[in-house]
Amino acid sequence: MTRSLFIQSVVFGVLTGGVYALLASGLSLYFGVMRIVQIAHPAFLFLGAYLTYSLHTRFDVDPLLTMPVTVPLFFVTGMAIQRLLLARLRSENAAMMSVLLTFAIAVVVEGGLSAVYTGSYRSIDVDYAKQSFEWFGVRVPRDRLIGLAVAGTTLLVLFGVLRFSRYGRSLRATMQHPDAARLVGVETGRVRAIGFGIGMSTAAVGGAVLSLIVPFFPSGHWEWIAKLMAIIVVGGLGSVGGAAIAAFVLGITEAVVQSWVSPVWAGMVFYLFLFVTLIFRPQGFFGGRLAQRY
Amino acid sequence: MAAQRRQQGWNYVLVLVLVAALTAGPLVVTNSYYRYAGVLMVMYMVMATSWNLVGGFTGYVSLGHAAFFGFGAYCTGIIAGDSRPSVVGALVATVGICAVVGAAIGAVALRVRGSSFVIVTIALVYMGSLLAQGWRSLTGGSLGLDVASLFSFTNRASRHAAYIVTFALLLGVVMVLWNFIDGTKFGMGLKAVREDEDRAQSLGVNTTAFKVVAFALSATFVGLAGGLYATWTGFIDPIFVFSVQISAQLVLMSLLGGMRSLWGPVLGAAIIVPSSEFFLVNLPDYHLLGMGIMLGGVVLLMPAGIIPTLRQLRAHRDPPGASIREEAGAVGADQSDDVDPPPVVGVPGPMVHR
Repeated sequence: MTRSLFIQSVVFGVLTGGVYALLASGLSLYFGVMRIVQIAHPAFLFLGAYLTYSLHTRFDVDPLLTMPVTVPLFFVTGMAIQRLLLARLRSENAAMMSVLLTFAIAVVVEGGLSAVYTGSYRSIDVDYAKQSFEWFGVRVPRDRLIGLAVAGTTLLVLFGVLRFSRYGRSLRATMQHPDAARLVGVETGRVRAIGFGIGMSTAAVGGAVLSLIVPFFPSGHWEWIAKLMAIIVVGGLGSVGGAAIAAFVLGITEAVVQSWVSPVWAGMVFYLFLFVTLIFRPQGFFGGRLAQRY
Repeated sequence: MAAQRRQQGWNYVLVLVLVAALTAGPLVVTNSYYRYAGVLMVMYMVMATSWNLVGGFTGYVSLGHAAFFGFGAYCTGIIAGDSRPSVVGALVATVGICAVVGAAIGAVALRVRGSSFVIVTIALVYMGSLLAQGWRSLTGGSLGLDVASLFSFTNRASRHAAYIVTFALLLGVVMVLWNFIDGTKFGMGLKAVREDEDRAQSLGVNTTAFKVVAFALSATFVGLAGGLYATWTGFIDPIFVFSVQISAQLVLMSLLGGMRSLWGPVLGAAIIVPSSEFFLVNLPDYHLLGMGIMLGGVVLLMPAGIIPTLRQLRAHRDPPGASIREEAGAVGADQSDDVDPPPVVGVPGPMVHR
């Protein structure tokens, strides 16, 4: 019995970890291209969930089929935010100021959401996502499996783009050394804006998935900020792969602690990992010395 | 240097005037609601100035001070419970506990800089919130905790008046401390951390110890403010006291007024608290939206804050009085407030402004 409970919670952790990994990859991307931490990322995740909700209830669109609308919309918004707001900050203290600016954006998004949708819980029910099935004696909820599949596919596409495309090369060059990249003809400004757009797109995809798997409310994004931040620090700031691994490790640990100890301690898992990382390895487990300074 | 000394001397007098004026406030304002808003304003003045002990001197932006606010509130609430005689003892204990806990947490959190530090401080708030809601036997869980009052007034308006005076006295203490540190070697070291931490360290400033002491001091006063808050409202709501919004308010106040000046956070609180109350009363649905837009606007348009900006304007209007260095400071908004030779000891000539 206890063994199957353990396996059950590990499976659950993997399914949640996929969503964490997807969102953390967006955060790592922002950090990589601009050396900033985008506090508003989960706020946009929730905005994505609410847009999906509206499209679903108004026009009866399947939650996952709203992505062709929300993803381009978020991509353009991300580019606009980078170009019009973040690029304007003075470079001397950009790290701090960008945190405050994105914090302000998060508050604006939350304020807008609670003004439009009120503060109560919303959720989407679709028939195909509600059931679960047995797999080697383990219950697998369908909605979470769909979530993992969507998140996993998006992550693979993202890795493919970063690794093999021409844009991916210029993006990695911009991450590693912006000045040198400019010298060899990379338009770092454009690369950064597109990088931001891609990061925001992960929030749109995540939003569609989120709307499918859990009920959501406007101020719910704060808890996500703290969790995702813990994930990217443990993984090492700016390391997309490190963040993905940390996301799965923390997601699984959270699920195991949740079913074995208590939900309160499940939430604490993220912060304990965060502080242990800071004490023993401040640069994270996959990041360079760089991470400690930003 | 002499000008700075003189300015500092005047600051002590002005702080005394401010505290006297705030204390006299309840004589003029008798309406209970306005007095309530007054307590909030002076409380935020205390907290923003305490926040500025870290933020202003070292440049480390903490979004985690709500954690100490909540922690202080719970310390006082748990120790005092509902017996009034033990409230004073509980507040004293709160100061001690907050100092120790603040130093311990600072020692860990200050190992990272910049955005990572901000992340860690946000996490602190959530840890506090989880603990307060999870440890039911001690904190009463999400139902909250009842706390006895420091004063025996049964009339609400008189109680508010008493708390205005209490917070005003605490404000005086924190401001005097800030002003005192500003001129000491300790303060210079903290500012050196802000300007260039690596260089300061290589020149022999014990940056770690300095940062931790500043952080602990700051946490202690915010914790004490939290304890007083708990005895004032008589009730602790875990979701409210541990909310990042409170930290964000402190940052917004300091930033708006001017992070590098003694008067910045006080001015910021004097602007933000009344306007925030106005929004809450008249446009409750748009309260958050308004606060977000305000913070974003300040960061984008006036990152140096009101006081340094005014100072620059004065310097421009009155060129003979301004040194070349001040002019240079006025151009790079980053250098705004302290135009005296930067505090790194042992470097002859002008300091490199990066």
